[in-house]
Amino acid sequence: MPIVKVLTDGIGELNLCDIGVYRSRGGYEQWKHAVTAMRPADVVELVSKSGLRGRGGAGFPTGRKWSFLPNNGRPRYMVCNCDEAEPGTFKDRMLLEETPHQVLEGILIGSYAIGSRHAFMYIRGEFKRGYEIFMQAVAGARAAGFIGEKLFGTGYSLEVTVHRGAGAYICGEETALLNSLEGKRGEPRLKPPFPAIKGLYGEPTVVNNVETLATLPHLLKNGAEWFSSVGPPKSPGFKIVSVSGHVKRAGNFEVPLGTTLRELLELAGGPRDGRKIVAIQPGGGSSACLFEEHLDLAYDFETMAANGTMLGSGAVVFFDDTTDFVKAAHALVRFYAHESCGQCTPCREGGYWLEVTLERLLHGGGLDSDIEMLVKVAHQMTGINLCPLGDSIEPFLASVVKRFEPQFRAYVKPSVAVSA
Amino acid sequence: MNGTTGTRDFAPVLAQVKPEAERLIAQYPDSRSALLPILHAFQDVEGWVSPEAMTAAGAMLGLPVSVVESTASFYSLFFRRPVGKYVLQVCRNLSCQLNGAEKIMTHIRERLNIGHLETTHDGLFSYEEVECLAACDRAPCMQVNLDFVYDLTRENVDALLREIMAGTYETPPLRQTAKPAANWHVEQDWAQKSPGARGVSSPNDPGGMGDVSGLRMIERLADGPVVLSGRPTEERLIVEGAARLKHTGSANEH
Repeated sequence: MPIVKVLTDGIGELNLCDIGVYRSRGGYEQWKHAVTAMRPADVVELVSKSGLRGRGGAGFPTGRKWSFLPNNGRPRYMVCNCDEAEPGTFKDRMLLEETPHQVLEGILIGSYAIGSRHAFMYIRGEFKRGYEIFMQAVAGARAAGFIGEKLFGTGYSLEVTVHRGAGAYICGEETALLNSLEGKRGEPRLKPPFPAIKGLYGEPTVVNNVETLATLPHLLKNGAEWFSSVGPPKSPGFKIVSVSGHVKRAGNFEVPLGTTLRELLELAGGPRDGRKIVAIQPGGGSSACLFEEHLDLAYDFETMAANGTMLGSGAVVFFDDTTDFVKAAHALVRFYAHESCGQCTPCREGGYWLEVTLERLLHGGGLDSDIEMLVKVAHQMTGINLCPLGDSIEPFLASVVKRFEPQFRAYVKPSVAVSA
Repeated sequence: MNGTTGTRDFAPVLAQVKPEAERLIAQYPDSRSALLPILHAFQDVEGWVSPEAMTAAGAMLGLPVSVVESTASFYSLFFRRPVGKYVLQVCRNLSCQLNGAEKIMTHIRERLNIGHLETTHDGLFSYEEVECLAACDRAPCMQVNLDFVYDLTRENVDALLREIMAGTYETPPLRQTAKPAANWHVEQDWAQKSPGARGVSSPNDPGGMGDVSGLRMIERLADGPVVLSGRPTEERLIVEGAARLKHTGSANEH
């Protein structure tokens, strides 16, 4: 089995929320090492060399993201995105609640790398317990002298503020998150300018995912080579994959990228007894479905993209042959319709109409033409919004309508259908 | 506004939240960033975000109350009307659905005799169907006053409801400073987000003109040529508006 223990090491066995336990395993040593023995540019170079790509969904190379910050002498901000809400994803919550110091050390190292003096941790409003745990972790680290003025006797000072959201999926989008952090409605901003140029309070800002940042202490400890030698060359390293749906043992599994979907399925205990997997959604609610013939594909950024879908946040949902894909599509479409911020007409209206249409189908009032309309509307609302939310409906909907069209047709009531 | 008590004394609440609010404001380079945390603080004390709380938050941050309300209304965890002592938020998203969430939701609805976004008569329970809670490995799941409850079955849901009713449930109740109504959404939220969608029963039959923007556009085009090319949007609107006022003759009235 391809399971590895890097970020997940010790989870479920030790109380890693205890700073003493975390430090006894080498915790915060990399933080000290970075500040006392490395220049920020060295950290950036190390991360660039490792090939680490963002673990939040977009998969953008982390080192490159950092390198976009202008040298303009303005304050810079590091923001950790813990607004995890992509359907099927539950890795960040685990890291937050089980190993908060690892996340915090990552935030500190990332802040140092980009020359930030003030870091923010944005935690999803629903994660009240995680927020309390993290507040305690920050207090512990502050008492131990890892946060504050003139750290380790150097001239470097760093402040960390923990901020709790209040329920809005869209705040996971980085510019919406920044607006929310500024005390505004969480509506995405027009880009460019990107946050690297004009982010929080209009200053250069980096927004990184929890898992991305939590990887940093390990990168510093083990070197870029250690990371880049694992997995395929363009998607190197390890990834926590959240596996759920119709499996026996759903859970988070840390594996090298390039592990096959079938291996992931086996890690999760395989399909339920007497059932077989017919579809896989490999990268969160926004990704297109793959099917049973794709089970032997390697799970990495490139292979997923080459097969018309994406790795996204690393949330794999397996569907077995009992699945009603009309209901599944309805659940996801309703989600995007509910979470649309309403700024862009195609997303606000398109999501709404698709939800209504699917509801009508489910309640036996659907028309034969509804099925084409679903695909058409989903396609029309794609690519013309400020942020990717409006583009997130089409991949799943179109892929399951294409594959399981008879299921959709079966919901059309013959007596209601209007003949031309 | 529904839910306000009008004459109640807000000073004790304010006195309780004020020191916390000042600490929160000091954390940020810009005080407005403290808005969400301050609203959380008020909700912790009162059990909901009352109009008085929004006014007070606005006063602390130098924001008009309209801005505070508009911001608060964006976030689903701020209750702008009183809610029950226990808010049950059941996940209705994909992984939970695949693992039987629908059965659980039906069960809770029947047991409590309330629906989505509603509160029981005794003010003990509020019920909401929410989106993915990031606990898909333990589906179906829900939050009770934001504490996670996993692997829901009809049996463990029944046990939980019994414990809450008996007052023995481990998660403490929310503060309840005002009696909740049958539902907790304010007027604005009852209307659909889409103006065009109001009162429309079928996507294929718009049922008249819910949305008049198309009509307006046709009207505007019929007003005659307005040269638009090459001008920035804002200017275009001004020119267009002026042309329109001129056309209707109302420009003279102003």
